[in-house]
Amino acid sequence: MQYTDWFLSIFEPVEFLLVAAIVLVLAYLALEHKEIVYAAFFFGFMASFVAAIFLLLEAPFVAGMQIAVYTGGITALIIFAVLLLPRAQDSSLELFATPRKRQLGFLIAALVMILSGLLAFIFPWAESFDDAVVTISNNLNDLAMWLWSYNGVYVQLIALIMVTSMVGAVALLKMDKAEQLSEIRGEFGIEAKPDFEEAEPSSNEEVADEDSEEGDD
Amino acid sequence: MMQTERLFRQFIPVLIWVILAIVLVVVMLLASWVLRPHVLQNSEKTSTYECGEEPIGPARVSYPYNYFIYTVLFVVVDVMGAFLWILTASDILWVGSAKYSVILQVALFVLLVMGGIWYVMKKLPEAALDGKETLEIYRKAKAEREKEQHHMGGH
Amino acid sequence: MVPLSWYLVLAFMLIGLGGYGMMVKRNLIRILIGAEIMGNGVNIAIIAMSLYSPVFTFTGQGLIILVISVAAAHTALAMVLMLVYNRRYDTVDLGHPVVKEES
Repeated sequence: MQYTDWFLSIFEPVEFLLVAAIVLVLAYLALEHKEIVYAAFFFGFMASFVAAIFLLLEAPFVAGMQIAVYTGGITALIIFAVLLLPRAQDSSLELFATPRKRQLGFLIAALVMILSGLLAFIFPWAESFDDAVVTISNNLNDLAMWLWSYNGVYVQLIALIMVTSMVGAVALLKMDKAEQLSEIRGEFGIEAKPDFEEAEPSSNEEVADEDSEEGDD
Repeated sequence: MMQTERLFRQFIPVLIWVILAIVLVVVMLLASWVLRPHVLQNSEKTSTYECGEEPIGPARVSYPYNYFIYTVLFVVVDVMGAFLWILTASDILWVGSAKYSVILQVALFVLLVMGGIWYVMKKLPEAALDGKETLEIYRKAKAEREKEQHHMGGH
Repeated sequence: MVPLSWYLVLAFMLIGLGGYGMMVKRNLIRILIGAEIMGNGVNIAIIAMSLYSPVFTFTGQGLIILVISVAAAHTALAMVLMLVYNRRYDTVDLGHPVVKEES
């Protein structure tokens, strides 16, 4: 019995340190890996391990949502966008910052990290997580009531935000199609050259060229 | 006094399972590395097998941008599913005094998102993105040019 | 019980890593990944604060649920903007891009 208690008391710090180290290493790899597809995969793994941190923090639904949205949605989005950009996959074409700039950025980031970490250690947080006083609840009913009943307006706002971003995204993606001149070419034939200032008498060769270009598009 | 039941203790089997999965993968990779014959690797051996043909071009091609729309739609439906998921994980839809207002909220939410998807897929390509404006501008320019030419030809 | 400062140090380290990525990298996708890492750090910080506060409420968790959905929406929009940038400049790297010639 004694042994079990000791194990359970040591278990949480060990688990936290393990998961935190994995998260940090994966975040560093997601930023620094040469191949950008692997970087996206490492970001997905990092999001999954952040979900483990949320489980340590007694937030099961947030952990599930982290996996569903970050790992399932955002990482898929990033990977798919990388697949759409063949230039981005070629690591030899990627522009990297100069070493001096990189060192400078690392220095600034390390300074911010160390200062805020020191502040987090020194600052007298109200360490009031006393289980005798505070009752933690991971009851999903209360969370659902908070989200849907007390603050339902926020959920509707989220729906509006998502619809707005979706309409903007689809409009941006299809804008090119709307401005494409293929329909005009179909309607007016060869005359739909962009430079209609000079009305050259078109020879047969140009017709052939135009046709082949249309086929390429 | 320690709280007896913390959430992560219920997940200890999951942790054991994760460790088993990692160990299994590492052991399989190591075993295959140990057991396989280490022969010379040249470009002929490592190239892609394409039914005996010479592989042409890189394997990474760019897909059309249009398919990205479906990814965006997937993310939106994903978030909507996550919001509905908490309803199935609790019982506020059928227990308690607030159930009717919650049902109203859920209906409004689903209607908003689904209406947005319907607008994006059906209305938006017809309404704003059919290239009509470009066509109008082009027609106007063409008519002007023809008029000008006619004018010049008349002299 | 792990003290609160551990979680906060983890969150600050994630925020610092993401900020490093956003400052140094020139690839737009990597900049976006850095922003997402920063967002994850902020989420951890807020959840930890809400758990360790003297009065336990569900405000922190509900807030983080809303934040995650907004993160999904803005990532989708950012990715599409990146595709438009690639279409116009024929690259996803920041710098001094040249406008792609219309063929």
